[in-house]
Amino acid sequence: MANDMETLGILDEIQALVSDKLQVVSYKWLSRNFLVSSDSAKRLLQEFVEKQGNDFEVVYSLSGWLKTSPSTYHIRLVSAPNLAEAKKEFSDDCSVQVYSVQACIPKDPVALWNAEFVQAEELFRLPLSVDNCLLDNRFCGVSNPFVKRNGGGTIPSTTTVPQVKSAALGLRKSNSTALAQPDQKKVQLPSPSASLPSSHVVDTKSESRGTSGPGQGSKLAAEKDKVAQLPAAKKAVQSDKSSAKNGGALANMWGRVSTKPKADSVAAATSDATPNPAGNAAQICTPEGVEDRVSDDDDQQVSIRRTSNGEGNRKRRVIFDFSDEEDEFKDAVNLASPDPPKQKSILGSKQSPSTLELEKQEVKKAKEAGTKNHEREREPLPTSESEKSKLSSSEMISEHASLKNATIKDEMADAAPVSPKRRKVLKTRIDERGREVTEVVWEGEDGETNADSNTMKKADNKPVKSTGDRPPMAKKSPALASTAPTRQAGKEGNKKTGNKDPKQGNILSFFKKA
Amino acid sequence: MVVAMEVDSESNLLQRKQSLYHSLDESFEMGKEVYRGQQYSQIYYARLHLMRTLLYSLLPNWKPQLPVCTVLGLEEGKECIIVGTLYKHMKLKPSVLDEYSKERSAAPLVQRHNFTHPDDNLVLEDESGRVKLSGSVLLPSTYVTGMIAALHGKETSAGDFLVEDVLEAGLPQQIERPIVLGEDKYVVFISGLSVGRSTSNPLQFQLFVDHITGHLGDVKEQNIAAQIVQVVIAGNSVEVPHGLLNGQNLGSKDQSRLFEPIKELDILLTQIAASIPLDIMPGSSDPANFALPQQPLHRCLFPGSSAYNTFRSCTNPHCFELDNIRFLGTSGQNIDDLGKYSEANSSIEFMERTLRWRHLAPTAPNTLGCYPFTDKDPFYVETCPHVYFVGNQDKFETRLIKGSEGQMVRLICIPRFADTGVAVVLNIRNLECHTLSFATQIHS
Repeated sequence: MANDMETLGILDEIQALVSDKLQVVSYKWLSRNFLVSSDSAKRLLQEFVEKQGNDFEVVYSLSGWLKTSPSTYHIRLVSAPNLAEAKKEFSDDCSVQVYSVQACIPKDPVALWNAEFVQAEELFRLPLSVDNCLLDNRFCGVSNPFVKRNGGGTIPSTTTVPQVKSAALGLRKSNSTALAQPDQKKVQLPSPSASLPSSHVVDTKSESRGTSGPGQGSKLAAEKDKVAQLPAAKKAVQSDKSSAKNGGALANMWGRVSTKPKADSVAAATSDATPNPAGNAAQICTPEGVEDRVSDDDDQQVSIRRTSNGEGNRKRRVIFDFSDEEDEFKDAVNLASPDPPKQKSILGSKQSPSTLELEKQEVKKAKEAGTKNHEREREPLPTSESEKSKLSSSEMISEHASLKNATIKDEMADAAPVSPKRRKVLKTRIDERGREVTEVVWEGEDGETNADSNTMKKADNKPVKSTGDRPPMAKKSPALASTAPTRQAGKEGNKKTGNKDPKQGNILSFFKKA
Repeated sequence: MVVAMEVDSESNLLQRKQSLYHSLDESFEMGKEVYRGQQYSQIYYARLHLMRTLLYSLLPNWKPQLPVCTVLGLEEGKECIIVGTLYKHMKLKPSVLDEYSKERSAAPLVQRHNFTHPDDNLVLEDESGRVKLSGSVLLPSTYVTGMIAALHGKETSAGDFLVEDVLEAGLPQQIERPIVLGEDKYVVFISGLSVGRSTSNPLQFQLFVDHITGHLGDVKEQNIAAQIVQVVIAGNSVEVPHGLLNGQNLGSKDQSRLFEPIKELDILLTQIAASIPLDIMPGSSDPANFALPQQPLHRCLFPGSSAYNTFRSCTNPHCFELDNIRFLGTSGQNIDDLGKYSEANSSIEFMERTLRWRHLAPTAPNTLGCYPFTDKDPFYVETCPHVYFVGNQDKFETRLIKGSEGQMVRLICIPRFADTGVAVVLNIRNLECHTLSFATQIHS
């Protein structure tokens, strides 16, 4: 039977989860994770316990009427050794079922609940307009057809968002094929998970992992690093790309290109200015964020600078197709780029990158380890979500990546008459959950606002303290943009800002304003 | 195959029972009330007016031969009946002035949980005046300020009113309970979840959620779960860290700490609302107004669960009808306050008293926060409920009381879930009660 195969697969996974990752696998977690009903999940766990229960600790849920006080329906969790004794307290027809399996019984029983709650939280953060197994409670044993749920007032915006995002997906695909360089393929080899639509985090990470992989010449690695950075940046801007498509006219693109770098650097600067203590995942998911972080330590700066060096030829190659993300990419580089004296060392590093490469590897490994757990946690989810036809997988990606802001979907500013020159404007508002959200809004076109805000949301997925910094920076972007009307000039402007610390830029702009 | 499994599990899915819900919260909702500096006298006046009319109507059946007097019309030695508001003079009643007066610093300033004292004495007052009450019939420890009664007695030479008998309003009229209710349907009461408290055990609440939503247990247990038609959360669902609120602006980190418990609650409530109709009442620790009647918790606090048609944010006190069974309940403030200013053996006795006095919160506005209504007293119990519940008590208690006109009321004290792990289940077919208890201490 096909069932058996599937069951075996799940059982193996349970074993891996419990023994390797020391995770508590409760029936509810299992049910949500593999999209089976709670009852089936309990059966699976029972089967698992029968097969290899000796290697693990089992917690049973015991429920029924108590013998001592017949008007009490009691539900308790017991470990396997205490099961027989606990059963005596219950009347004869009590129900005994496997609640969870784990490597060891935690001292604090709440630990049993954590994995499940994290999962529930993730499901909860998905857009409210779409049902998931948390929101419609579909895996329980009791159905209630009278329960109705409205989208919570977010319906109008959410209906538009998936379209934009699917466009983004399409673009992303075409981009990656256009990019299809041997290097990149190699890069993706070491981590098959990168092919899964899991998250920005996973992608960027795995690619950087690939670059630091062994058996590749240091020079090659350096080359590859550029490539690795490029797609990362591309993914970051996929939504921008889509907006570019939406915008249509090439003229529009040019018009925007001139202004955009500033705004983006602003964006990155803000995320830099607001180190987010909580979020490994949340923060990393913006490539800008990644590079900001990276730029914190010097070793990493080198690698990024190297990419900025290689930027020249790459730019020429893709300039027409991907002017946008090219910009974005360059932008990211510029952000991270250090003071002029250090830039000299770039050349040196390119010629003999081995030591630096080594250091970088270490850092990356550390990072990788840090995010590993996170990746794993999330990896199964895309498969579960793939069932939902309503959502494009790319939405899933972004939702996963931006856990904190999944439901921020309010409408953006009204569309102003379309003009070739559009500006990015940072707008701060309070969303329906009471968080402060700063979004980048394209003044001038409506369709893009969604997509842009998406990338931005990732940048400030936590209510950010330093929003005070932002208005001046927002001011800065148009000002600088006007000095740099052409693409070339824009680049120069970029370099200017790039040479400074982002924060210094802020101060400068502040004075300009004054 | 996953699909196949889902299909076969759906085929034997139980259907949750339904019942007809009718909210009766209007009298507790603050509509167009505007505070114009009014004092609390009007609420006492409204109460006295309401209750006195009621008591007068009962007098012919009680002691028809006796004349009815006002306090001012009392004559020494003449037996009569007076109706008025009781005031209990309490030696230990905390006064804000005590903290500032140096002379009275002999009185302990420590917080006590009960302020009764053997020296307490009662005073009855109406519009015309007040008179000190004496006699052993009327025990000061049982009664509280704000309660209205008819007293039979006579004025003594000392100027006191010697009480010989007391008439309380008694249980109000009850709507007919549907006699034939074919099937078992359960209402689950839970209170004092205290999500966010450092000692609270979220696993316990999760087990509760899983049980009532039909995740936990075998088919038999899910059968029971399928008969649950309503969940009522009677207050104190969250415990926000009040230490953070010191009048200063909060940093973003503190803001999230403040909000985290509410978010956790929302996620858990979402799981309930996705399956069962859910009423949530505010309590003393919840982010709601302090003064009774507490207004519904704002829906914005629960972005997830408020999207369901099953989610209702209600007032405290809360009144509703389910299949023509009338429920009335509070989150416990009224009973807790009675516990501070009077004495009884158990919470259930306080509950019974409030029903017999026909007043949910007689100590409001004296010692219990209350909005200064001008034209009504919303806590007057006009119609007798079939089920009267009070949240956030120390332990589960229940009692079935009967009125003189055949009224039957199920009284339920809902314990604090975070402390006891106990929720209460009521069968609305026969008003039988049982508890649902959870234990998560895995002995390893």
